[in-house]
Amino acid sequence: MDFSFYERLTGMIAAGSELVLKAEEQMSFWERVKPPVDISSSGHLIEWLFNYTTYVNLFWFALVCIGLFGFSFLYSAKRHKKAFYTHGNEKNHLLITAAIGLGVFLSVDLVITRVSSHDMKEVFWNFPENDPEVIKVQVLAQQWAWNFRHAGKDGEFNTADDVVELNRLVVPVNKKVMIQMTSKDVIHAFYLVNARIKADAIPGRFAKIWFDTNRVGDYEIACAEMCGPHHYLMKARLQVLDADNYQRWLNETHERALATNDTESMDLRWGWKWESR
Amino acid sequence: MITKGPADELNHFKNSVAMTVTLISFGMMFSSLFLGYFLVRFNAPAWPPVEIENLPKLLPFLSTVVMGLSSWTFVLLERRTEKKALWSATFGLGVLFLVLQFLLWNSLAASGILASNGNVPSMVYAFTWLHAGHIVLALALVLWLGYLIFFRPTGLTDVKLINVGKFWHFLGVIWFLMYLMLFVL
Amino acid sequence: MAFVEQHIHDAPTSFWSKYVVSYDHKVIAKQFLWYALFWGLVGGLMSILIRWTLAYPGVPVPLIGNMLFPASGGVVPPDTYAMLFTLHGTIMIFFFITPLLIGCFGNYCIPLMIGARDMIFPTLNMLSFWFAMASGLVLFASLCIPLGGAAGGWTSYPTLSTNIGQPGAGQTMWLISLFLFGISSTMGAVNYITTVITLRAPGMGYFKMPLTIWGLWLTAILNAIFVPVLGAGLLLLTFDRVFGTTFFLAGAAATSGRGDPILFQHVFWIFGHPEVYILILPAWGIVSDLLSFFARKPAFGYKMTALSLSAITVLSTVVYGHHMYTTQMSPLLTQSFMTLTMLISIPSAIFFANWLGTIWKGSIQFHSPMLFSLGVVFVFGLGGLTGLYLASTSIDLYLHDTYFVVGHFHYTMAASVLLGGFAGVYFWMPKMFGRMMNETLAKWHFWLTMIGINGIFMGMMIVGYGGMHRRLYNPFIYEFLHKLIPINNFISYSAFFAAAAQILFIYNLFKTVFAKNYPAAGKNPWGVGTLEWEIDSPAPHYNFKDIPVVKCGPHEFGNPNLTTGRDYQYQTEELVKV
Repeated sequence: MDFSFYERLTGMIAAGSELVLKAEEQMSFWERVKPPVDISSSGHLIEWLFNYTTYVNLFWFALVCIGLFGFSFLYSAKRHKKAFYTHGNEKNHLLITAAIGLGVFLSVDLVITRVSSHDMKEVFWNFPENDPEVIKVQVLAQQWAWNFRHAGKDGEFNTADDVVELNRLVVPVNKKVMIQMTSKDVIHAFYLVNARIKADAIPGRFAKIWFDTNRVGDYEIACAEMCGPHHYLMKARLQVLDADNYQRWLNETHERALATNDTESMDLRWGWKWESR
Repeated sequence: MITKGPADELNHFKNSVAMTVTLISFGMMFSSLFLGYFLVRFNAPAWPPVEIENLPKLLPFLSTVVMGLSSWTFVLLERRTEKKALWSATFGLGVLFLVLQFLLWNSLAASGILASNGNVPSMVYAFTWLHAGHIVLALALVLWLGYLIFFRPTGLTDVKLINVGKFWHFLGVIWFLMYLMLFVL
Repeated sequence: MAFVEQHIHDAPTSFWSKYVVSYDHKVIAKQFLWYALFWGLVGGLMSILIRWTLAYPGVPVPLIGNMLFPASGGVVPPDTYAMLFTLHGTIMIFFFITPLLIGCFGNYCIPLMIGARDMIFPTLNMLSFWFAMASGLVLFASLCIPLGGAAGGWTSYPTLSTNIGQPGAGQTMWLISLFLFGISSTMGAVNYITTVITLRAPGMGYFKMPLTIWGLWLTAILNAIFVPVLGAGLLLLTFDRVFGTTFFLAGAAATSGRGDPILFQHVFWIFGHPEVYILILPAWGIVSDLLSFFARKPAFGYKMTALSLSAITVLSTVVYGHHMYTTQMSPLLTQSFMTLTMLISIPSAIFFANWLGTIWKGSIQFHSPMLFSLGVVFVFGLGGLTGLYLASTSIDLYLHDTYFVVGHFHYTMAASVLLGGFAGVYFWMPKMFGRMMNETLAKWHFWLTMIGINGIFMGMMIVGYGGMHRRLYNPFIYEFLHKLIPINNFISYSAFFAAAAQILFIYNLFKTVFAKNYPAAGKNPWGVGTLEWEIDSPAPHYNFKDIPVVKCGPHEFGNPNLTTGRDYQYQTEELVKV
């Protein structure tokens, strides 16, 4: 380990702690634990189901607590000298137990399963494959960086005019983005917390995901799957631009790509033909 | 702490329970390998893949015959009284099976099929390695039976014969499945 | 049902045969107990280092930092951090919880509670311990070699765990160590299953066994079936690392042939999900028994509880896919796994209802084992219910690989199992060593531990909900996690607090076991009717002079027609009619 690394780290932490001080000011507990801002059109589905599950869980857990603490209080040996002799195998006992089992099944399992299946089918697995407006991006994960590839003007991937960027993904606002992704070395996971999206990038396979954004800004993309000691440094930036800026950016980078891309360099040839299934 | 004599009938029960559980365990290990095989096979674009196009056919066939014969001699060993000759036949066939496996690995390497050529050749090697490893274990048990047969015939009980036999037949069945999957189908 | 004649052998006399290569299930149980405690301390220390790093990234660890990490001036380096959380998981699961609940209580309770003189295969039992020992030694050795131990996560997904991600020998030693441990577990499982089937005392039907035995027996069945699956995965990964096969290689790692890393995940989780239940089932069993023992009331719906434990055992084998939602399996598979996973909540709800039914209208004595059992009801309630979020495919998109998962599985398989384990230690201590542990210390231990672990794991779920993902050396390079720094600090303080609380336990345990002139516990200090409480404390060599004949169930408390002056019945007494 070289020392400079630790110096850098210490610097980073000093910078971090300033931020902490800023962040610690005037933030209530509930604000603190709120998930990061949701910029997708689908994130609210997850939030709804999460909240539903929470309410039902609270109900059942409250029942457990009432039983646990209530019975402990009412039937402690001091208060309740003689235990009631029952094996709990009478008809009404069985009925109550079965009713609780059924209640859990109906209130939690059935709802979650149905809503979740519905959301997956209608939204998260409903890839905008045939949408002509969709922004297509190829992603290559590697230890410890993200490579992003836009097709460029010709709309074909792995050609000389591809816009290739390291650790920066630029997308236009209010457009659907479709990603095909693989990994060069180990398993990574593309984690865009603001769009509530996560999928593994697996060497030898293509993963696909889609998301959309509804507000301009800079967001963070993280790697969520352990990928080596520097897993934590595998961070990329998602830049959401408005339509004009995006067009400007695309034109500029496209020109630059044509001018500077070294067509011989193997490093830039990691793309593939868009897989349409 | 296995008791002998009149309690032998009772011992039989506990040993057959234990042996069944053990064989389920071993069976699960081999089934996971087979599960991997089926996953690979059903996802493969073509079968057999180019890496294993020229698999040797004769040696695995001979191994299968030898394995079958040894199982047969083991069945006889459990039933007949001429234990010494039958034991020698079983043990000899077991060793012959191992020799054939070594020849198989050599011929695989000679025909350019190496373990590092991809997951299908890896499978051919790993399956046969693991099976051969178990055969070595089983041969050690058979050797122990041999010691009992030749030197301490009083210590030889049906329970021991039957349980080692179960393991031996089990490995025979596993080999037969492997042979079918890797070399025939 | 005494299928097998059980002989009484002479008690061994030399130190060597008595304590080292012992065939006695009680000694082997104690060997496993010390083994587990040693590894528990190692794993616990690792978790402290992890929490230190998360609370104070880049700050040298006080006291031991300079000794452990001299090259970095006492700061935990990132590669060591990866090794720490990998081995923390491995050690806590395989070298702490498994030996404690299955090795120690399995060995100790099974023969005593079913009325047998020993395990059916004592030699196999001894071998099982020594294989575990060998496995522990290999793992310990892997910490001392250049490049250190395995650092690919306890799940050791390829291709990170192949030679490109883990060039050192540490990962190979990890694989060998776990393989040896698998052999040990399988040997134990064969022994437990056969013992329960063949050695139950006359009259002890399956539905007269204590629920502890049910839990341990079901665990043994899962072990016998699924540990070999892990074995296969480990062997193939070892072949990939050592002999150049290419089962799991793809991408840059695959220089010649190509395999599929997801294959390993399938094999791993086919084992890995039942493993969760392997760990928790004995704790459930122990808790189900203790709740009844200390509520002085028969277990509510005993048969239903036993059957729902069995149902969970069966279901646990077909739900493993919920660990792999983000690998994008086919939608059909994903949905089937979600539905099957959800089904587990039905039997869970049933035995939860039965637990509460057991203490309903009881006459509850809050001795330390009871406190810990009630603690299990509380933390498993939380752990079980939070599983519902993760089973749902769409919520999992957000929560997968976050600290929410970490909090959830620690609640279920660390907090519950740990509390269940403590309950067991406090409960069987008089039978194991003939001495009662100090109750006051035990109660303090309970409350402090409860506060500590709930602080840790509740905090983890909160930061997970805030989006913090797992296994990060320094999470705070992400801006969206900055606001979670105070909560992370809180988790770390809770962890230090919980760790400090364990000093009470260790002190109490060592004092009880080793102090001179300690008062002896009687035969039956808790007033419980299962078979082990009819014999002397500590249990004599070969347990029962005469094999007992069982006439009633294990939880006969508070029968109004009892004339013995006791409020419980021994299992050898004819059931008093109401």
